Amino acid sequence: MRDDDTITEADLNAYVDGQLTPERRAVVEAHLADDPGDRERVAAWQAQTATLQALYGHVADERPPARLAPWRIVADRRRRLSRVAMSMAAALALVVLGAGGGWVGRGLIMPAASEMTLVSEAEAAHALYAPEVLHPVEVSGEEGAHLTKWLSKRLDRSLIIPDLTSEGFSLVGGRLLPAAQSAAALLMYENGEGARVTLYVVPQAGGETAMRFTTKGDLTAVSWQAETLGCVLVGNLPRDTLMKLAKTSYGSLDAGSNI
Amino acid sequence: MPGFLDDLETLVPALRRYARALTRNTDRADDLVQDCLERAIAKQSLWRPTGPLRPWLFKIMINLYRNDRRRQRGSLEQETLDVLPFEPATPATQGARLALAETAAALERLPTEQREALLLVALEGMSYAEAASALDIPQGTLMSRISRAREALRAMVDGQGPKLRSVK
Repeated sequence: MRDDDTITEADLNAYVDGQLTPERRAVVEAHLADDPGDRERVAAWQAQTATLQALYGHVADERPPARLAPWRIVADRRRRLSRVAMSMAAALALVVLGAGGGWVGRGLIMPAASEMTLVSEAEAAHALYAPEVLHPVEVSGEEGAHLTKWLSKRLDRSLIIPDLTSEGFSLVGGRLLPAAQSAAALLMYENGEGARVTLYVVPQAGGETAMRFTTKGDLTAVSWQAETLGCVLVGNLPRDTLMKLAKTSYGSLDAGSNI
Repeated sequence: MPGFLDDLETLVPALRRYARALTRNTDRADDLVQDCLERAIAKQSLWRPTGPLRPWLFKIMINLYRNDRRRQRGSLEQETLDVLPFEPATPATQGARLALAETAAALERLPTEQREALLLVALEGMSYAEAASALDIPQGTLMSRISRAREALRAMVDGQGPKLRSVK
């Protein structure tokens, strides 16, 4: 127990903020009766609180503008996401066209050079770590909070690690890798049958792009550029499964600059 | 989702109030709230907060605010501040209005971290635990920021220049 007679600065603040127990409150009140200096200080602080309330308290009574209605934000978001889905569908149509259309069609569907680098890095990382039995990841998915914090710090982005359990994939964990221009995060997921997908994430700015498929051997990669992240999902799985996983990841892997 | 959206909606007025006090600019404040809601909605389906919603939302908004400030630092663009955020409903005396404007201006001169902390507690009425979690800092740090903010405000508004704090 602390000495009840010692009134700290924290006590005075808690008194002003009404966060003392009744007993402690009585002790502080007794102290204030004897100490004009602290009494004046506390009165000034109380006046500040009242002034802040007078200045800004009324804002909470205003009717918020329509653009701040959550249901409306959700509706706008759905519209935006379905546009992304449509451009993805368009990209798929091009893939089909490209398959029959030879070089002309091929030029249209090839991702940009920088994205190709990203995709090959992601494929290499997947090929190296996905078969690994003993040490597939550095930090296991069970340490989710630590993993998030660590990777966010190293990538200088506030990463949100996607939860793919709705698609039947649980997080194995993650690791940090060197990439062409910075560090990259590799997140690994596994389904009930032991099939693994990896999500390769690199901090890089650029315009958001639609999702693109690339295939190399038996691996398929879905790549896209988000607000501040380049992302590649790699796996040996049917395209529509990968697309579902990519879409779920897309909604989640939203990042601000370093937080 | 509907439950979550309803909960969000009930917190919008408080988010606007806090954002207004932080930015002192109606449009910027509402932009900040909108960004915050969008981010919360994008995150919630996959990364549902385990704790209570209010500190989580404020945390998102404060981070957005800091990012904004970081981005604006160095840009010469002058922002428009509302001199007095409202016309008082009851005609205040000249003196009282001055005191309000003076406090508003003094608040602006506080270090950001102190302003963020003080407003969470004094304006939003958060408990220390809640405010500390919104700012992601230990409660002791929060309390020392609040205390410093109060003394700095007092020194500025009393117009007596910086005062030595009594050593206790």
